[in-house]
Amino acid sequence: MKGKELALKALLDQGVKYIFGYTGGAIMPIFDEMEKQKVFKFIMSRHEQGAVFMAQGISRASISTSNPRVGVCMATSGPGAMNLVTGIADALMDSVPVLAITGQVPSGVIATDAFQESDVVGVMMPLTKQTYMPLSVNEIEEAIHEAMYVASTGRGGPVVVDIPKDIQNEDTDDDYQFDPHSYEPDLPGFYYSPEPDRDLLRKAVGIINRSERPIILCGHGVINSNAGPNLAIFAEKTHIPIAFTLHGLSALPVDHPLSLGMVGMHGTVEANRGLLNSDLIISFGMRFDDRVTGNLATFGVDAQVIHVEIDPSEIDKNVKTSVAINADVNQALAMLAKDPEIVTKPRRQWFENLDNYRAEIADEINREIESGVGKEGQLLMKTIVKKLSDVTGGKDLIVSDVGQHQMILARFYNFQTTNSWFNSGGAGTMGCALPMAVGVKLARPDERVWSISGDGGFQMNIQELGAVMEHETDIKIILLNNGYLGMVRQWQTMFYDGRFAGTPMKNPDFGAIAGAYKIPYQCVSEPGQIAGAIEAAAEHKGACMVEFLCDPSEIVLPMVPAGGGIADMIVSMK
Amino acid sequence: MTTTTQLKRRAILAFVQNRPGVLNKISMLIRRKMYNVETITVCITQQPGISRMTLTLYEDSDDKMAQVVRQIEKVTEVISAKELDIDQSFWREVAIVKFEADSARMEQLSSSYRVEMLDHHNHEVFIVQLAGTSKMVDDFLQDLGNDKIIEVARSGFTALEK
Repeated sequence: MKGKELALKALLDQGVKYIFGYTGGAIMPIFDEMEKQKVFKFIMSRHEQGAVFMAQGISRASISTSNPRVGVCMATSGPGAMNLVTGIADALMDSVPVLAITGQVPSGVIATDAFQESDVVGVMMPLTKQTYMPLSVNEIEEAIHEAMYVASTGRGGPVVVDIPKDIQNEDTDDDYQFDPHSYEPDLPGFYYSPEPDRDLLRKAVGIINRSERPIILCGHGVINSNAGPNLAIFAEKTHIPIAFTLHGLSALPVDHPLSLGMVGMHGTVEANRGLLNSDLIISFGMRFDDRVTGNLATFGVDAQVIHVEIDPSEIDKNVKTSVAINADVNQALAMLAKDPEIVTKPRRQWFENLDNYRAEIADEINREIESGVGKEGQLLMKTIVKKLSDVTGGKDLIVSDVGQHQMILARFYNFQTTNSWFNSGGAGTMGCALPMAVGVKLARPDERVWSISGDGGFQMNIQELGAVMEHETDIKIILLNNGYLGMVRQWQTMFYDGRFAGTPMKNPDFGAIAGAYKIPYQCVSEPGQIAGAIEAAAEHKGACMVEFLCDPSEIVLPMVPAGGGIADMIVSMK
Repeated sequence: MTTTTQLKRRAILAFVQNRPGVLNKISMLIRRKMYNVETITVCITQQPGISRMTLTLYEDSDDKMAQVVRQIEKVTEVISAKELDIDQSFWREVAIVKFEADSARMEQLSSSYRVEMLDHHNHEVFIVQLAGTSKMVDDFLQDLGNDKIIEVARSGFTALEK
């Protein structure tokens, strides 16, 4: 068999169904073979970055299903591969397993600065879990199987297989053999320990039982290990409130009685004050990102920390732990949930305090939501998100771009469905939503998918409207247009004396753009029209787009200023 | 965490699969995480396909040191990594030194240090090899004096636990 056939065979053996990508000189043999075989559904992105975010959509959305898959994207050498870089870096930051296969110039001209040659392995190495460059056809199948294993084992992450063009066309030796079913990767040092240590669990239970003001931090790992149900049992049994990291949202219904909502820079008052005043932080599957902790010098100074995390290098990295359990979150939670020594405490004072925190700005926010318009008389994003949440019952899948609207969705969408919240967290890559929504829809075709962007991010991967049109992908696009890069504008308002450097934008006629792609479109500028427009979009069969004209003066609060501690949280501009 | 003007020198021993890019990954990690690395040496082991890597770095914080070890362990090809106990291991390096001296001076140096003569020109320029502790190499170079030294090549540390 030839290299190109082996590459596709390996993907097929791995259960791959969709391939996202963009062809070009050095990947042509594999694309040609794909066209001959017609066993994959190929989605052509209009830019390679779109392809990697589509692949991310597959991985992110399917990880909680009975059939978790690693999204696959393909690109040619040089500029093709380089255009994947942002999406690959994004996948690493958010622990998303993704496989990128790139064509490379023929092995004979590698290192001669050949046409469209880039050092893909060199560039990708610090942004991936592993990179491969098979230099013999006999290595292709093993490289792809090992790459898939590495990507999806333990903490997920991206992998890249860079295949020189001549190797794609090369024939295997006569005695070539590879059995994907009996294959086991030869990686003696690939560290993965899903089983929690029982002595450490004992120690954790002791600390939990003694705590008066504990708080649970629920991270992305809870979703990735399908630990939501066990988390609920554990939290209910111990009667401990739960705060969610950005990617921990939708692990449990966010209106669960013990939920405090999101924690961190734009977290709720109750989650942040709860964290600040807790005597024990029990964190599951998260990494104490600076957007969660604020200034580390003032983080959790009065609290003990129990950290359950699959990646040992995250333990004691930012926050010193009292007990660190390096294990699969679900296995640890399953054992904690049925631990016979765990005690229930009423914690009346603690919950009373939390209720007081919750009430701090609740009225002010509710008044804003009800008014629906900001200082400049245009729509407030929080009102739109609240209506979206009401219309969908919080059950739909939400794919968000990056910025104010992302934080507002995280705060005000009432997530009910497990793993229903997809966006770029660690990397904060604007433009991720539209292509990611395409992948999410393909992975979960029976659920309704909303792709929600600001006018800045939407234009970063706007070309993927082409893929939506071509494949008639049924996603509902919401564009929250305030004519600015809203989050940066917010910082400029708060910390740069209101000088709007590089944030105002003259925008195109988005209705005309939607029309050019044959995507039904409506524009909403009045609060009274919001719910109706969302209902119409929800009921429409096929892709459609709703543009909301939003108020540029809207500020997302609370906010922990960058570099400040949680105690520095700004809760009101009044 | 203690801070002293003179940071503590420490060593990490790692066994790695000998695949392309491993050294690249470790050195990128050092740059990316801004570790204060002094030397890296890599050599083959008795077991085919497995290399031995010794890093020395300056770090006072035990927490940071544990973090460095964990980050190195995270590299897919790394089989094991641990910090060497300074008091329980031997640290040695090799130095090749080219310097100016007359015969009498050379004789004096030979009697004080275990040097192996590699080359000499007219008993004015010598090339010698020293193998031993880094203190021994430091002492030799200091004894020699900067104005006499033409060139020094030091291997970096290799280390073995008792």
